[in-house]
Amino acid sequence: MSVRGTLGGVFASVAVLIVGWQIGSAALDHPTATTSTGGTASSGGSTGSSGSTGSSGTGSTGTSSSGTSGSSGSTLKDGSYTGKSVQTRYGEIQVAVTVSGGKITDVTTPTLQADDGRSERINSQAAPMLKREVLQAQSASVNMISGATFTSQGYLTSLQSALDQAA
Amino acid sequence: MATVITAPAPTATAVPAAVRAVRHRRRIRRADLLTVAAWTSAALAVAMCLTHGVALAGIGDVLTAGGIVAGLVGSDLVLVMLILAARIPLIDRTIGHDRAMAAHRRLGKPAFYLLLAHGALLTLGYAWNDRTNIIAETTSLIGAEDMPLAYVSIGLFVAVIVTSLVAVRRKLRYEVWHVIHLLSYAAVLTALPHQFSQGTVFAADTAQRIYWIALYVLALGSIVTFRFAEPVVQSLRRRITVDRVERIAPDAISIHLRGRGLDRLGAQGGQFFTWRFWTGRTWWHAHPLSLSSAPTPRTARITVRELGDGTRKLESSLRHGTPVSFEGPYGIFTDAARGRERVAVFAAGIGVTPARALLERLEAGPGMVSVIVRASDPRSLFLWDEILRLCEGRGWSAWVSLGPRGDGWLSAADVARGVSMRSAFPRLADSEVYICGPDRWADPVEHESHHSGVTAAHIHRERFEL
Repeated sequence: MSVRGTLGGVFASVAVLIVGWQIGSAALDHPTATTSTGGTASSGGSTGSSGSTGSSGTGSTGTSSSGTSGSSGSTLKDGSYTGKSVQTRYGEIQVAVTVSGGKITDVTTPTLQADDGRSERINSQAAPMLKREVLQAQSASVNMISGATFTSQGYLTSLQSALDQAA
Repeated sequence: MATVITAPAPTATAVPAAVRAVRHRRRIRRADLLTVAAWTSAALAVAMCLTHGVALAGIGDVLTAGGIVAGLVGSDLVLVMLILAARIPLIDRTIGHDRAMAAHRRLGKPAFYLLLAHGALLTLGYAWNDRTNIIAETTSLIGAEDMPLAYVSIGLFVAVIVTSLVAVRRKLRYEVWHVIHLLSYAAVLTALPHQFSQGTVFAADTAQRIYWIALYVLALGSIVTFRFAEPVVQSLRRRITVDRVERIAPDAISIHLRGRGLDRLGAQGGQFFTWRFWTGRTWWHAHPLSLSSAPTPRTARITVRELGDGTRKLESSLRHGTPVSFEGPYGIFTDAARGRERVAVFAAGIGVTPARALLERLEAGPGMVSVIVRASDPRSLFLWDEILRLCEGRGWSAWVSLGPRGDGWLSAADVARGVSMRSAFPRLADSEVYICGPDRWADPVEHESHHSGVTAAHIHRERFEL
């Protein structure tokens, strides 16, 4: 164990730690769950026909009628929808959405059950993060919360089934 | 005594001094790189956790984060220990088996404490955040997926480490210790599932998960390859059997072996093998022994001092034709590891065995090699006649320091005559030093060599005591 080897090891380790720390703080600044699809919600309000470029020309009924369409081609009908209940590895999850003016305005979890204290805590952290992401993305196309993979999967599956009802 | 010195001629292609020095420098650089790699792997384990971003809001989070980091670094150290114990040729040629095992032993306690801290800190941290007590938290943890196995794992680690503590180790028979030590494989494997199912660091589809799995594959793969597959294949190929057993001293025997292509085992003089003799009474005992002479295609010889139960049984158990399996060759007590032209060899007790094999294959001109053999009485002066003949034939000097040991590493009589390291080895500072013998004797030799100006890179020591 020469001095050179030890010093080299210490320096290399410090470098690795700094890089890891940098990546980590970048991840904290931009929350781990970021939108994967570039769905920039047109929050300005009545964008009129902007959505009509969608390729689905068949049912010409929907697209621009409501006036306040989201950026994606599909429009959501107003109302409250409850998704199917999903059994995950650590508990049962059911998500409900409220659509108003064609937009997702609220996401709740009527069922957010956890089998143990650990999962309960993870759920209670992950659910608000997921809600924020969904409201921002206006869809279920958001990334998983790291450290809460199963909660995320169950949450987004249930959410998608609710959105399917609203479509 | 029918001892024959085999193949004494040094090869015609003597290595030039410059080449030797470059080779030595490269080896030392490789050793440094291995050290750097070990450090970096520990840092990477922490970095994997850091890349998720560490948000510490309160005591519970601090405890939890500490527990996760302790678990990651502890597991990394365990994997490094496995790699060090795996007899990987690159590592053996670079730092030698005994230094690799010394590093393995040094890492044992830190790794163990980190794994204990991992369990303790996470339990405390979770309990704090969940606002329950430790017992309730532990109950809920044991109930979680793969967690029962994780608790089994830590129990196995406790057994392995406790039996390896010096004080406990001395009281145990080697075989008992060894069987318990094998449990560490089970400990590593049972710890694995919870890291992926419970851990948040190795989420699916992350680079972290791939890296971590690769590290486990490397460590366990090395063990399987070099400690199991390779020895089995080699043993089957060489078909070594005992030829005859020869008593060379009241407490030492030479075992003559027969086999196929033994000169192609790749053993350099001074390396050792781990031997297993397949009789009903001896098969479970592995003997780490050097070849005491350079092998010929059909024959090889090992010399054993009867120190323990296992070695005492050998003479009465071994017959002509007893099958022998082996692992090796290991170690860098060799000519190839040398960086200098001048050589000083210190041997004591049964340590003369590798020293003799080293000398037999040493490429050095007349006057370049000095050998000193230490023995407390003439009866434990093994192979001395062979060493003397070797040295006389090549123009090297060889002495014996005989009699009860005085203060230091020489005999009391020699110390009284005024013999010292300086008088015996005036050019020690620019010599390559080889030391082989019991630790109690070899420690002062190494210490005095350092004192005389020999750096660690030029000291080669073969440790017999495990």
